[in-house]
Amino acid sequence: MKTPRKITQAKKRQQASFPESNLGSDLFANLTRIKTDFGQNNDLVVNVLQWDDNPACIYAVLYLISFTNKDTINSLSDEIDSLKNKVSTKETYSTLRDFFSGIRVCKEGSKLMDLYAELLSGNMVFLVNGSERYFSVLAENTEGRAVEEPSAQTVIRGPKDGFTENLNQNIFLVRKRIKNTSLKLENLSVGKLTKTAISLMYIKGIAKESIIQEIRDRINRIEIDSILEGAYIEEWIKDDRYSIFPVFLSSEKPDSVAAALTEGKVAIFTDGTPYVLSAPAVMVDFFHSSEDYYHHFIISSLMRILRYMAFFITLLTPALYIGITTFHHEMIPTQLLISIAAQREGVPFSTFLEGLILEVTFEVLREAGVRMPRAIGPAISIVGALVLGQAAVDAGIFSAAIVIVVSITAISSFSIPNYEMSNAIRTARFVFMVLAGLIGLYGIFVGLIVLTLHLCKIKSIGIPYMTPIAPHIKGGNKDTFFRFPLWSMKKRPYGIHGIDERRVADEYDKQDKTKDQEFR
Amino acid sequence: MKLNGIIGLSITLLILSGCWNSREINELSISIAIGIDKTERGYRITHQILNPKAISTKIYTNETPIILFSEEGENVFSIIRQNTAEFPRKIYNSHVRMVVFGEDMARNGIQDVLDFLLRDHEFRTDFYFAIAKGTTASEVLSILTPLEFIPGIRLYNSLENSESYLGITQSVDILDLVQCIISDGKNPALPGIEITTGEKGSDTLDVLTTVSGKKGLKYIDMGVFKDDKLIGWLSEDESKGFNYIVGNVKNNIEYTHYNEKDQITYEIIDSAKKITTSVVNQKPSLLVEIRVKANIGAVDGYFDIMKKENESMVVNLLENRLQEFCESALRKAQTELHSDIFGFGEVIHVKYPKLWKEIKSNWSVEFSRLPVEFDVTVELNKTGEISKSVFTKEES
Repeated sequence: MKTPRKITQAKKRQQASFPESNLGSDLFANLTRIKTDFGQNNDLVVNVLQWDDNPACIYAVLYLISFTNKDTINSLSDEIDSLKNKVSTKETYSTLRDFFSGIRVCKEGSKLMDLYAELLSGNMVFLVNGSERYFSVLAENTEGRAVEEPSAQTVIRGPKDGFTENLNQNIFLVRKRIKNTSLKLENLSVGKLTKTAISLMYIKGIAKESIIQEIRDRINRIEIDSILEGAYIEEWIKDDRYSIFPVFLSSEKPDSVAAALTEGKVAIFTDGTPYVLSAPAVMVDFFHSSEDYYHHFIISSLMRILRYMAFFITLLTPALYIGITTFHHEMIPTQLLISIAAQREGVPFSTFLEGLILEVTFEVLREAGVRMPRAIGPAISIVGALVLGQAAVDAGIFSAAIVIVVSITAISSFSIPNYEMSNAIRTARFVFMVLAGLIGLYGIFVGLIVLTLHLCKIKSIGIPYMTPIAPHIKGGNKDTFFRFPLWSMKKRPYGIHGIDERRVADEYDKQDKTKDQEFR
Repeated sequence: MKLNGIIGLSITLLILSGCWNSREINELSISIAIGIDKTERGYRITHQILNPKAISTKIYTNETPIILFSEEGENVFSIIRQNTAEFPRKIYNSHVRMVVFGEDMARNGIQDVLDFLLRDHEFRTDFYFAIAKGTTASEVLSILTPLEFIPGIRLYNSLENSESYLGITQSVDILDLVQCIISDGKNPALPGIEITTGEKGSDTLDVLTTVSGKKGLKYIDMGVFKDDKLIGWLSEDESKGFNYIVGNVKNNIEYTHYNEKDQITYEIIDSAKKITTSVVNQKPSLLVEIRVKANIGAVDGYFDIMKKENESMVVNLLENRLQEFCESALRKAQTELHSDIFGFGEVIHVKYPKLWKEIKSNWSVEFSRLPVEFDVTVELNKTGEISKSVFTKEES
């Protein structure tokens, strides 16, 4: 027989003694140890093989069947076949290792724990009788979701690929956008139980060393059993852990991550999630969309102003309505007051209660829209629109004005590109409503002062959240409220970059005369 | 402990200094206009209260858009509060648009009422005043008006319009009015309002269902005050002259006769005044320069306005006409009323403060014999869409 054949179970049960963490030279002792550690795992496959014309040459192949690519297993067995005649008893291990390391990704080691890590990452482990070392061959099953258009961050113009749950795929998507050796990748592993792979990506020279070091340190200090999403990391390493405002820019679009990297940010990839975090992120980042850079700068600037307006509308409209109509009637123009008075005639609730009930109802609708099965979506929207918009007003339970206020708030909150920021603002809105209901405009302004103080206080990896507005960074405002032309943004924004500061060559001349030529 | 202290202090601070006075809009009765009359007991205050139910598009009612509340008493503030006792909702005065004085009230002096209107925190300062000419304020406020449902707002809007496009009224808010009263060199003038005659009464909703023949409200004449008391009326032409002199005309229509029966109509598009004063022999005299820009609005007959000599005639006709207005206004104020509504005293005060000190105690007499000259300059801007009359036959 030329094919390797299985050795009987009895033979494998031979005992041997070796130090706790290291492999011994006896193959069967090693295998017993491994099997004991893994227990009755029916997806661990242990194949012990030998070439029958070379009986001293016994080796074992271990892999997790659920995790390993079938094609790789098949082609490996062919390759081993072709190798058979070259193997001599003494050098089985090195021959095999040398052969595979020539054509495949290989790792070598002697520690038992490392061996387990390799197995659990989906690799095939080779053990050879008489050798105290193992080597592993990359055979990870990379099957998963294909690259698709992001579901939460959609654009009209610009790349439509989105991250997937596969870490390597995600790294590839960013790396193909930045073809430079300065793009560095660091692999970390977090979670005592899950051993989740975390990758830090940054551009050396553009990202500040101190920031990279800080993020690295903070991630290494995490002590938790499981990491299932980037948010776990975010919550652990956040500067101000009680603040509702996001300080990490989460994105499922590779082009925004690439843009963040070129601004000097550090990207944190987490295995198993299509969201990649970039830090440090400042307040204004959450109002920017990658599409801002793909349209004309004047149009993009207008869009940005619109988003900042939406921010204030979301935050303040219900509060202002409640405050002014219950405390400051004299501020309303007479005709508007008459109109509101006419609408409020016969409404049983106070304005504050009206606003609170409708805002909560909207939040319930929104939450239901996210959680419910897709198929009942239309039913919910019909009930929501009819019950809230139409029937409630017709029945005289709510006034039409408050329905308009709640709707404009709801719509505005979703024109903020970042969902976490929009959540934070919507939450703050309730605080403002209560303040307005209690003490009117005075309360709103007290709330605004507190909010401003809070925003100025919190930091993202040591960078003040309101950078570059407060503290003011010279030239940093070219990419905040407005989007200046690309050729005028000569330096990297916000002052968070490292030694490499320039974006545009110094000698670039705006008045390029060659552009005036006309071809007929 | 320290944190608790800070939180406690902040909450105390918030609540102690906040706006405690929370009221829902549907708990207020919004007063749109106030009428003040003089009676034997003291005052009669009439509130024109908005009836939101009648305006609401959801609830169909046959109710009137406004409700009148009238109460008599000795004290203005206490009367307003007594209205509240009759009405389920507290009267809210911040949105008062018009304050109408009855003629009797105005002749007796309005100073004490103005003090209340200025002092009370609920009143804003942007409402206008009018005087019910020959009638009482409560009569005026009881008239329902078509098109604009709420008579108070209707009065407010048409006062602004008639000031801008007719030039016979003047909108005066409380700060202007008080300023005029306390000033030595200027007396107030308030627009008069009249109930136009009609067969049908105008205080039921029925009136809004007929096309014509109902009672209505119309601004007419200007009431001239001496300090805070009404002493007489300027006619329509005199009111126009008054507005030209004080530079209050923005857009106006004038017409002149160029022969027995044919008229030229002008549209005044801009008017500016400049008053200069000079002193001769310790006697002040004034020169009022009025610069007017006008377009031709209409020409009767076969008048050719394109001819050079005709153009100056057209201009002269209007200049004379305007001068007549101004002179008639001045004559009325000087000879009959002895009240300086134009603010000439202020002009002298600014230019010759020392002289003013001597004459201000006797200003109404001095004013009556003050020499005032008018210099009206008209600038023709456009002749309209056509040049000479289209009915002119070409001479071949």
